[in-house]
Amino acid sequence: MQSALQEETVVTSKHRWNARWFWYSMICVLCWGGWALLSKLGSREIPPETMQFLFTVGTIPVCLALLIGAHGRLEKSPHGITYGILNGILSGVGGLALFAAYHSDGNTSLITVVTALYPMITVLLAITILRERFRFIQALGLVFAAVAIVIFSL
Amino acid sequence: MHFAPWLWYSAVTLVAWGIVGLLQKLSTNYISAESSLIWLVGGFLLLEPLLYPGLAVFHYSRWNLTWALLSGVLNALGAWALFTALKSGGKASIVAPLTALYPLVVIMLVPFVLHESITRLQVVGVVCALIAVLLLSA
Repeated sequence: MQSALQEETVVTSKHRWNARWFWYSMICVLCWGGWALLSKLGSREIPPETMQFLFTVGTIPVCLALLIGAHGRLEKSPHGITYGILNGILSGVGGLALFAAYHSDGNTSLITVVTALYPMITVLLAITILRERFRFIQALGLVFAAVAIVIFSL
Repeated sequence: MHFAPWLWYSAVTLVAWGIVGLLQKLSTNYISAESSLIWLVGGFLLLEPLLYPGLAVFHYSRWNLTWALLSGVLNALGAWALFTALKSGGKASIVAPLTALYPLVVIMLVPFVLHESITRLQVVGVVCALIAVLLLSA
């Protein structure tokens, strides 16, 4: 039984290393890590508003590539479009505050880690607004997040 | 407890992006993840007239302007890679926590690139935060 389990674990981990999704996830991690680091490097001199302006210009080529990949066809759901645009506005506001944090004297690692905790707000909103079920693992996550924030504020 | 300015700014980002996470769920109920990203950039573009720096932008060093532009490219490429990972058969319950670990790249590079360090207590905080990110994204 145990050896069958071990064999299964080996096969699963082997699959993970061979799986395309794993390597795309790693590309995502490297890109987002690079994004945070370059944001800090640029923010040392450039104020938050200009950083957000230039950041948006940088996203345009990738957006255009996606648009070309979709043959210029976009879904026309008014709800989807409204939520998508609202996402952009709020992401922009969040980005501005992030660049302001990097522009200040704050520690880069701490700022990056604290802002990466945003799923805790999503979880809280999903529970209160979307009435999603509150899972034990999420409660545990919130406790760890709270401990981290208290430590950073000491 | 003392909330330094960087912590206040980070809190604004935390709340704004937390709401974005919820809206993202709602938006992908109606349109694909790719379309959602394209409309998100549409939202970014709406803010551009308010942020337009004019000719002042040319006062900054060429390198810093490059970093700012590249940060946008990398952010959007990261989002594309995430969608592609999910489309290539990756389970959201594994891909989301895995990709949420991007601060690790920053933590590993910062001492060499920016020569910044953190205290032992802050290391404990970072570990707690990374565990929290893993649990909350799962």
